[in-house]
Parts: sequence; C-alpha cells; structure tokens
Amino acid sequence: MNAFTEKVNKIDRRDAKLGMAHFYVAFIGLFLGGMAGLLQTLVRSGQFTLPAGIGYYQLLTLHGVVLALVMTTFFIMGFQFMAVSRTAGTLTNKQRKTAWVGFWLMTIGTVMAAVMILLSEASVLYTFYAPLQAHALFYVGLTLVIVGSWTGGGAIIMAYVGWRKKHPGQPSPLLTFMALVNTLMWIVATIGVASTVLFQLLPWSLGLVERVDVAISRTLFWYFGHPLVYFWLLPAYMAWYVIVPKIIGGKIFSDSLARLSFILFLLFSIPVGLHHQLVEPGIDPAWKFLQVILTFMVIVPSLMTAFSLFATFETFGRSQGATGLFGWLKKLPWGDARFLIPFIGMLSFIPGGAGGIINASNQMNQVVHNTIWVTGHFHLTVATAVILTFFGISYWLIPHLTGRILTKAMNKLAILQGILWAIGMTFMSGAMHAAGLLGAPRRSAFSEYGGAAQAAEWIPYQIAQAVGGSILFIAIILVIYIFINLAFFAPKGEEEFPVGEAANTAEKAPMILENWKLWLGIVVLLIAFAYTIPFIDLIENAPIGSKGYKLW
Amino acid sequence: MAQPGLEKRTKTKVEDSSSLKGTLASVFLLGFFLIITWVGVFLLFLNRF
Repeated sequence: MNAFTEKVNKIDRRDAKLGMAHFYVAFIGLFLGGMAGLLQTLVRSGQFTLPAGIGYYQLLTLHGVVLALVMTTFFIMGFQFMAVSRTAGTLTNKQRKTAWVGFWLMTIGTVMAAVMILLSEASVLYTFYAPLQAHALFYVGLTLVIVGSWTGGGAIIMAYVGWRKKHPGQPSPLLTFMALVNTLMWIVATIGVASTVLFQLLPWSLGLVERVDVAISRTLFWYFGHPLVYFWLLPAYMAWYVIVPKIIGGKIFSDSLARLSFILFLLFSIPVGLHHQLVEPGIDPAWKFLQVILTFMVIVPSLMTAFSLFATFETFGRSQGATGLFGWLKKLPWGDARFLIPFIGMLSFIPGGAGGIINASNQMNQVVHNTIWVTGHFHLTVATAVILTFFGISYWLIPHLTGRILTKAMNKLAILQGILWAIGMTFMSGAMHAAGLLGAPRRSAFSEYGGAAQAAEWIPYQIAQAVGGSILFIAIILVIYIFINLAFFAPKGEEEFPVGEAANTAEKAPMILENWKLWLGIVVLLIAFAYTIPFIDLIENAPIGSKGYKLW
Repeated sequence: MAQPGLEKRTKTKVEDSSSLKGTLASVFLLGFFLIITWVGVFLLFLNRF
C-alpha cells in the first residue's frame, strides 16, 4: 500500500473528533441505561424493592429512552459520519459544521429529556403513549434529538451529493450509499413522531389544548416506531455486508445485492406500523392486513442478507481449503473480537427475526401481544444483534479514531464480553419469551399479583431474567472498561478501518439504484397507499379525546 | 506382467472451490427454523382462541 492510499484510509482528525463526541454520549447512555435495566430485572424477580422513592416505571422510561432512542441514535450518527468520511472522503468544513450543530441539538435534547425523567416528571415509557402525559420539556427534549438527527442527516446528504457531483456516472461507495439510505429512511420516518409531538403532545402538555386523540397519536408513533427498528438494524447490516468480509479476509458476495437489499428496506420498512397496533380498535382490519403483507415484504431483504453472509463465509472458507458441507465454518477467525462479536449478533438475529414474523402475524399477535415475549424479542434484535455489532465496530473504530490499537489483552476481554452477553441474554431473553407465552405481561412493576396461581408460574422465569440481567450488566461494565481503554489508554498505533471489496469488481452496480426520485417516489406512494384511508377513518370517527394522566 | 496397483482406480474427489452448497444448506436450515417456530406459536393460538 503506498503512502497516498494509507493517508486516504485514515479518517481525518477533525472528523474523528466528531465521531468520538457521538461515541462518548452513546457509551455514557449505555452505562446509565444498562444500570436501569439491571435494577428492573431485580425488581421483577420479586426479591428487591427500589430505594429512595425511585419508581419502577421511571427506571423503565430511563432504560428505554436512553438506550433505544439516545444511545442508538448517537452511535449510529457517529458511525455513519465515519463511514462516509472513510469512503467518500473527508467531510467539508460546511458538512462538519452542520454535523456538529446536529450533535449539540441532540445532546441538549437528551439532557432535557433525561432530567425530566430523573425528576419523575416523565415516567411515560419510551413510547410516551397518550394519555400518559409528561412534562412539556420532555417532549421539547425529544424534538431536539430528532431535529438534531435531521441536521446531522443533512450533513450526510450533502457529503453524498458532493461525491456524486465529483464522480458523475459512478455508483457511490457502498458504505456511503448505505448510510444515505438509512438517513433518508430516518427522515421520512421521523416525520410521524415529530408530527404527534409537535401538533398533539406538546400543545396538550402545555395546556393549550385539553384533550388528545389517542389513536391518532399512537398511529403516528408507530408510523415512526417500526422504521426505527430498521434505523437500528441497517448500520449493523452495513458492518455485516461491508466490514466483516474484510475482517475475515474475504470479499463482499455482491455489491449490487447489498444495495438492492437496502433499497428494499427503504421501501418496505415504513408503511408497516399498523402491525404494532393489530389489537387496537378504530383501525379497519383490511388495512391492518395490508400492512401485515407489507411487513412480510421486509423479510425478503433480511433473507437476502442471510444468504449473502453465508455465501461470503463459505467462499472465504473454501478459498482457504475448506471442504465438506460446513468445513468453511472452521476457517473463520473465531479468535478475533472484531469478527466474533458481530457474528454472535448475526446468530441472535435468527431467533430474533423468527419472533418478529410471529409478532407481525395477525392471529399470533393475540398470543404474544403486550406480554413479556415482546420484550424478549427486541432484546434479541436491538439489544443483541444490533448492539453486539455496534460493540464489534467500536473495538476497531474507537482506536482508529484515537490513534491507538486494540491490544491482544483487550481483544480477549472483548471476546469474554461477547460470550457473557450471549449467556446473559440467553437466560434473560429466553425466560422472557417463555414467560410471555405463559401470559406474563410486559411493562408491569408487579410480580406476584396478590398471590395469583397463574402469576406464581412466572416467578422462576423472572428469577432467570434477573440472573441474565446481572450477567449482562457485568458485560456492560467490561464494554465500558474496554471503551475507556481504547479511547484514552491503549498503546498508540494504527488500527485499520476495514472496508471490504466486492468479489466481482468488474460488476458495476446498476445506476438505477441511485435514482432517488424513483425510490423516494415509490416510498411516498406506498406510505400514501397504506396510511391515507386509515388516517381519514381515524380523523372522521374521532372521539372526544382524552385528558392527560400522570399515573406515577 | 500384471501390475495390480495400476488397475486400482483411485477416486479423487475434486471439490469445486466456488461451491455454495454449505450456503444452500444453511438457508434451508434457517427457513426450517422460521417455519417451525411460526407453526409452534400458531398451534398455541389454535389451542387458546
């Protein structure tokens, strides 16, 4: 490698600072949210009471908001900036400035929301469903987080447009393309949550209006809430498609297939929110059915991803002389945390995805709806598949940005962390799935329900959850320790930012995949098709609305 | 003179290094897993509702 490409492959110091700022907030959030999670599982085991007037629902809100909304968004924005800077070139001053404005908006918003939760003014859980009413500053804080993420998204769009202008007729670098798709999806999706917060919840919490339409607010939330899970997942897919192949020493199975799967996610991840509302009144079952079908369309790009990853691994293993049906598995670098941790994530996405298909199936939703099965489900998807991949990314990206290296000792510790996570989550999520099938509700501070016989059946599972939660918290402490080491104390050196190459470099990605007028046009059409009539129905048949409640 | 060693035909299996049969098997296993879990919960639904 000559000096020039080496220079290009290293992220500019100013961009690196931007990335690290995002990661500091993300990892502080991980610690706070993880601690809240640990306390929750201890309370739910029925063996522990919270001290000092701390409420269970307050902790649950903190856990959800800080981890699902804040930690993920900060990590994702930081990672996407770094991916764009690495593959489409250093950000311009204007782009970097825009990104910093976004970062500060998000940070101020986060602090506002977190303070309101800690003051016990906003124990409304991370879905902040009306008619639970939080302090207005909680909603203002969340709005700032979203507006900040739009501003940051603007910087990514500017970087993409800049690259395309400089390279007419060429497909954009794969990681930049993927970051752009995720940004576009995020902007379209967050319009829903921004609408309910700005036009319904904020005026209502300020007392400007007395009542709120609950069904409309929930529908707007889930218009955002389902693509939110793909906003978490797609950066993990970026690592699986592009980065993991390079780490193992293999190739990307197909550049075009990866792009097509991302386009399919853009199209089908938004018009599907009603599958979260299958048991809700006020929405015609025909429209629920339509959105269930669209939900099942999203399985296609995930299965394409699974195929592509298996193929990448097998092709690599065979190039190393592997034979037999599964001999290639032995050739994978199991001792490398940068590979192993995301790989555990990939594995956990198999039961995670299977659970998702069950949740979205109309009849089966009645079996699992509002049970702790659902909590078990998203702890496999976002809290294992996604978060372990994010940890795996951190283990090379943080030292890359700070000019340090992941030492052998830290690599070992990282592997231990991943294994602990897998064990803890098997206990916790497995017990949640089982208890959920037995009817145990989610989002409930109660364990014994006044000595009811059915509730007694759930107790062993809740103890298993506490055991799993405790193991997970140990893993979180390890992650934080490794993060601090990589950020401040690891030996100086050059850690690679791995970016894979396609197996067939002669194959040029079809330019139609970069035709945003076409894809965004289809996105708008699909959303209009799936949501227009349900919203007209909801507005036409709107009840009087509900006053706000503070039940904590 | 007969040379028995030469008559022995040694079959050397040459495996195609570009084979994706492991991938095929893997996606089938994945598919079966999805079907089994789905049917499992569907049976619960039938029993309960």
